Amino acid sequence: MKFHSKTLLALVVAGFGAAAVHAQNAEVIHWWTSGGEAAAVKEFAAAYNKAGGKWVDNPIAGGGGAQARTVTINRTMGGDAPTAAQFNYGKQYEEAINEGLLSNLDDVAAKGNWDKLLPEKIKASIKIKGHYYAVPVNLHNENWVWFNKAVLAKAGVAKDPTTLDEMFAAMDKVKASGVQPLAFGGQGWQEGITFRSVLLATGGKDLYMKTFKDKDASGPQFRKAVESFKKLKDYVDAGSPGRDWNLATAMVIEGKAGFQFMGDWAKGEFVSANKTAGKEFGCFMAGGPKMPYAIGGDVFVFPKNDKPGAAAAQKKLAELMISPAMQVAFNNKKGSIPIRTDVDLSGVDICAAAGVQAIKENRLLESDNELISPDAKGAFEDAVSKFWNSSQSVDDAVKAMASALKR
Amino acid sequence: MNATTQTSVPARRPKRTLLTPARIGIYAFLLSVSAFFLLPLYVMVVTSLKTAPEVRQAMLFAWPANPQFSNWAEAWSSACIALQCNGIQGGFWNSVRIVIPATALSVFLGALNGYALSFWRSKWGDILFGIMMLGAFVPFQVMIYPLVAWFRLGGFYNTYWSILIVHCIFGMPLMTLLFRNYYVAVPQELFKAARIDGGGFWRIFLQLMLPMATPMLIVATILQLTGIWNDYLFGLIFAGQDNYPMTVQLNNLVGSTFGERRYHIDMAATILTSIVPLAVYFFSGRWFVRGIAAGAVKG
Amino acid sequence: MKPRQRPKRLNLALHAALLPLAITALLAYVGSVIWSIRISFSSSKLLPRNDWVGLAQFERLFETDRWIVSLQHLGILAVVYVIGVLVLGTLMAVFIDQQVRGESWFRTIFLYPYAMSFVVTGLVWQWLFNPNLGLQNAFRQMGWESFSFDWTVHPETVIYAVGLAMVWQGSGTTMAILLAALRGVDEEQWKAARLDGVSKPRYYFSLVLPQLGPAYATAFMLLAVALVRTFDVVAVMTGGGPGDASEVPAKFIIDHLFGRNNIGLASAASVVMLITVFTVLTPLLYWRSKVQSRKQAGH
Repeated sequence: MKFHSKTLLALVVAGFGAAAVHAQNAEVIHWWTSGGEAAAVKEFAAAYNKAGGKWVDNPIAGGGGAQARTVTINRTMGGDAPTAAQFNYGKQYEEAINEGLLSNLDDVAAKGNWDKLLPEKIKASIKIKGHYYAVPVNLHNENWVWFNKAVLAKAGVAKDPTTLDEMFAAMDKVKASGVQPLAFGGQGWQEGITFRSVLLATGGKDLYMKTFKDKDASGPQFRKAVESFKKLKDYVDAGSPGRDWNLATAMVIEGKAGFQFMGDWAKGEFVSANKTAGKEFGCFMAGGPKMPYAIGGDVFVFPKNDKPGAAAAQKKLAELMISPAMQVAFNNKKGSIPIRTDVDLSGVDICAAAGVQAIKENRLLESDNELISPDAKGAFEDAVSKFWNSSQSVDDAVKAMASALKR
Repeated sequence: MNATTQTSVPARRPKRTLLTPARIGIYAFLLSVSAFFLLPLYVMVVTSLKTAPEVRQAMLFAWPANPQFSNWAEAWSSACIALQCNGIQGGFWNSVRIVIPATALSVFLGALNGYALSFWRSKWGDILFGIMMLGAFVPFQVMIYPLVAWFRLGGFYNTYWSILIVHCIFGMPLMTLLFRNYYVAVPQELFKAARIDGGGFWRIFLQLMLPMATPMLIVATILQLTGIWNDYLFGLIFAGQDNYPMTVQLNNLVGSTFGERRYHIDMAATILTSIVPLAVYFFSGRWFVRGIAAGAVKG
Repeated sequence: MKPRQRPKRLNLALHAALLPLAITALLAYVGSVIWSIRISFSSSKLLPRNDWVGLAQFERLFETDRWIVSLQHLGILAVVYVIGVLVLGTLMAVFIDQQVRGESWFRTIFLYPYAMSFVVTGLVWQWLFNPNLGLQNAFRQMGWESFSFDWTVHPETVIYAVGLAMVWQGSGTTMAILLAALRGVDEEQWKAARLDGVSKPRYYFSLVLPQLGPAYATAFMLLAVALVRTFDVVAVMTGGGPGDASEVPAKFIIDHLFGRNNIGLASAASVVMLITVFTVLTPLLYWRSKVQSRKQAGH
């Protein structure tokens, strides 16, 4: 039988082609399901598809990502791991690394010069025992305060507050003018954010590190933070328990409240309602202008995967997500800050600019997510929430929080 | 109470009764309880027909100025969930594909178990039944890890079959209980006669006992249909992305934590997702009651 | 039919038929319980670990405020929900049994909540209880200044709000069970009672309801299972809050399984739940099976 070399060539090419097609499928689990978030993820997907791959989207909402992470772990254990999965900076994926479930990204890191490129603290979060296991995609910070400028003006607040003390004074004036001073959502995670912001405002980086790194809640400063935290309750309305965060933001947007403690994702709500930073609303970092910028935000990990072409797809994804063009495009839509310092950051608004400044001045800080386990964090927030919602004494609260840290 | 009341109990025709204070009291009670039951549905429907600014105003009970049925259309076919802007319709057919076989299979297995346990005495059967009844109280989230491990061993994790099997596993206690209670009330003479006629295990089941259990089959089907349709967690973890049921889509639409919440679309999507179980209860409520009459109320 | 009398062929058929039951009961249910027990003695966090830490997880469990109060809340719900549903279900069934017009409408209205998943009905209930958005605001705006319906914002009353939402969802099916049983009661009894001068309420409460023992038993079993599984309504309506004032065991377990990456603690909690439930239920099931085998002695 004569061997048609052309046929053979065609078969070989087809074979390579098939392998190449397989090589480019990337199933990505994430929890960015709402409008603004989806627009950001679309940037990644479009770019990956353009580069010859096929982005298979697998969004799973709920629990602030807890369900998505659960599905990722279960599927990895079930032998059907996704190509890539979203996590937050911190200890969420520590165990997965220790059990050898994640691929390492050392060659991508070497090629992209991550050692030099990434800020120190970010590197610390994704480089475990000398190997890179996650690609960081953005920087969020939870310790912001947002306010409605018209409400403040009407209350006679002369200058935009920039510290917690100024905020308390302003809230008194707002209260006197008949408007709810503080918009609050009584859910565990929101109470946690508020407490950590007050902690930073009270004792700055030292107190934050002492609490979450040394797991030491003794001392007068911690106590003072706990007291200041409870003082906020006087400025909060009766309907706050259980309120969703965006409904609280809506209160500020509509002028029904003056202030809100919330992360920088709240900015998206203001922008959706066509408000501009510096005009209708203002923002400041709870810990003051020189506040240490606790790292928050998202990374992608790459579970070890036997599927053909998975490893190649993973590398391609990682390179893409951290590329300068993608960092700008993604973060513009998401409202967060790129993790690269070598991109054009001139277009950011005044609120984001403060974050950029923090990176430039090397004021990044490990957040509680990276210092304590999810279990301890949950127990700590339980203690905070109980204190906020009951008449528990400050001493008992401090004791409860201290033991939670030690989980 | 004789056990032969297997046939459906005739619904009593309402006689022409005088409007006594007692009658008024009855209707007053029933109507006020109805208001209590309908209140959440009213809020859901009304919210689903509002515009976004109206929702933000948060006047819960206000009828929308301009009912927007387009919200429903949007929820069905164009609402954006992450990158896809196809609404929740995709999940609808997945749910159908899962629910119908899973219901049929779990009901059949329940009937088979009930039949085997009540007519064919077996010590092991009773023990297994007892174990499973206690097992019904195991928090099912706890069973997820072990099941994932078993399915991985079996090689069918995260496929269509794994979600079918999962629904059978979790439906089995209730289904078996219902049918066992039903068959216990069937007179043993019937069974003995069938045996004398030469019937074997399967013939008696398929040709006699299964058809006879029609009222209970209906009840079981209704319960399983709505229960499996409303399932979220198992569909998420065991079905695989190609088979995600409607509830997963709904949760993605409704449950995002850090993004904006569009309550009017959320409510429309929820109503659409609930239409199948609601319709089932609406059209078959009578059979539901009759079926329970025939089965579950006996000891 | 006694096992020894059965020919081999039939024995084979029986055992083949019971295979799904056996696999499910042993692999799925018993297997998961054994796995949970094993993990509860380990230090497993995100992933299962094979070590041994003795009773450490259980010690930590009972030092955890959130767990202790969750058990207390389950006790409160046991009373509010179970008794609430039984009472409301009884009243609804008795009133509907009075040959009312539009019975099928009432029946549908009472049954539909069960068809809907709590994922969004829970949110609606949260809105209804909100002092600024819900019923309290609506009534006050209509002029009733002192109307108060904000149970969910006060730690002391939030668990009762949850109970109310659960009663809303569960009363319909209990009503269906009781109504079906009522329909099985002979009309002659009422005629005889009327001749004796017994008033209708007394007729029901002294004569009829006591006959409904088995129906109540069935309803109680279903309610008990639902009670132990209570999760969705709390997660969506209150998130367990304010603080931990509405936490329930199932939610505690799931939070630690999924969000807090601590399957060791979650398994310990599950084991405690199982022991509690078994302790309560086993005598009950044993008593029921004795009653049934006495009945079947006639078979």
